[in-house]
Amino acid sequence: MDCASNTMTPLIECRKVTKTYRSVWTGRSQAVCALRDVSLEVGTGTIVGLIGPNGAGKTTFLSLISGLIHPSEGHIRVGGHPARSVQARRLLAYVPESPVFLARYSARAVLRYHAALHGLSRREIGAETERLLQQVKLEEYARRTVGGFSQGMRQRLALAVALINKPKLLLLDEPSNGLDPIGVIELRRVLTELGQSGATVVVSSHRLGELEKMTSDYIFLDKGRIVRFGEETASEQGRCLRVECLPGEVAITEELVTPHRLLETSETRIRIAVHGIEDVPEVVRRVVEAGTRITSVALETEDMEQAFVRLCQERAS
Amino acid sequence: MKAYELIMETLLRKTFIRVIHMAWLGTYAAIFLIPWPPELWNWGAFLFGWSGCLLPLLLSAGIFGDDIASGRISLLVTKPIRPGHLYLYRWLGLSLQGAVHLSVAGALIFGLHRFTGRGNTEHLAIWLLASWLVFNTWVALSTSLSVVVKREHNAMLLVLGAGIVALALSLLVGFFPESGGTKVFEGFVRWACPPVELLVELARTEQSLWESLGDVGHSAMLTVFYGVLGIILLGRREYKRTGD
Repeated sequence: MDCASNTMTPLIECRKVTKTYRSVWTGRSQAVCALRDVSLEVGTGTIVGLIGPNGAGKTTFLSLISGLIHPSEGHIRVGGHPARSVQARRLLAYVPESPVFLARYSARAVLRYHAALHGLSRREIGAETERLLQQVKLEEYARRTVGGFSQGMRQRLALAVALINKPKLLLLDEPSNGLDPIGVIELRRVLTELGQSGATVVVSSHRLGELEKMTSDYIFLDKGRIVRFGEETASEQGRCLRVECLPGEVAITEELVTPHRLLETSETRIRIAVHGIEDVPEVVRRVVEAGTRITSVALETEDMEQAFVRLCQERAS
Repeated sequence: MKAYELIMETLLRKTFIRVIHMAWLGTYAAIFLIPWPPELWNWGAFLFGWSGCLLPLLLSAGIFGDDIASGRISLLVTKPIRPGHLYLYRWLGLSLQGAVHLSVAGALIFGLHRFTGRGNTEHLAIWLLASWLVFNTWVALSTSLSVVVKREHNAMLLVLGAGIVALALSLLVGFFPESGGTKVFEGFVRWACPPVELLVELARTEQSLWESLGDVGHSAMLTVFYGVLGIILLGRREYKRTGD
């Protein structure tokens, strides 16, 4: 599967990646397969949303790309380098779900520390620290120890740490956790700017509305398998014909609307998945022929939340 | 800057580290005020036990294990830094703390001894060298253990392990002095574990110059061996977080 590859060399390249967690004590008997046979490529300059139900393998996927864990099978390359290599780490930055810092360090000290790990000079560290404190709006808390920070402030600081040295690939696991609405808007602005500057962002979140506003492509994960859907697929599959009708008049079955899918039937409403506006007359004709007395018809574009629910239902069935 | 930050982190990461240093130095000073120390008490041996063997375990408690348990490690190992450098600079930070601590403690004890005349400071400089060597070996062993053991359990395990090994050795030597198993175990403790016995012999100046140099070399080699083991583990292990 390709995700909006803009260049010849993909920034992230996964080939038949499988990850199985095994306990040292229980071995194979209680092995959990978190990712199965995942292959995908992600190009530069894209903001990819990573979505899926709980336990789908999102954190595992991000951990594999960032080199925190090894794949059980297959291989992962970042910018053409093996995922765990120093060369790959020069390109990427990772923001964990619950970032932890040394509680005794101030926000400024944390940024200086991490900038030093990037091998920056003293002057560069100073300049980068002040720039990032300003960017994530933490200047007034720069001297406060991180131990007293709220979850949202820690998230901002983690984002600042990740932005040190302008990474080409940014991996974020639930970055809006604990952020206030202004923080969420700021996060969106920063990520959009990053995407525009040519960096690739992979962001995992349960806030689908937020993801929809900033991502250009999506990866849907379920039970360790990837079902990708992006803008193009959404325009093909993500439309829904909503038919309102008189109470008790709904008389329609799945067979009647084939090859389209019946999404919902209630006493006064039918929802049918269609590919586009060209399908509407035919579907409406079949609904009328089935004896339904229509009061209104509307073509809706499926938003990310609906798409997520639909995909979950499809996978479940 | 990378080295400086990682070295300083070993001192600043927890409040208790500075408290331990101060408590140790305070204890050395306080012991001169109580009437117990006999005139023949060797301060060098005291320093060797407390600052050379016990202090490194407390200072290195959770040095990697804390980061792994809290998840902070995920921010460190995704930086463009080799595991070897991460390990080396942290070990170096602890080793420098040991050097400064032993220098201050040595000066303090020497000064108080001159002032009160209690105990003896015979071969104090060599005891300090032996203490620093054994400190480095314990630090390397404890730091490497911290890569695979969560939180501060590395220090606790080493204290327990050292106690059990010492007890087992004394029992074997007491009950089966001529047994082949006892000889093997004795050899293992002497050559593969932190070289307490050899460095005590060095500090007592009971050996020739070549034997003493051999002890120093052996201690350095063990430190390197433990360190390489830790670097390999750090580079190969996984850093899992439970989640989606």
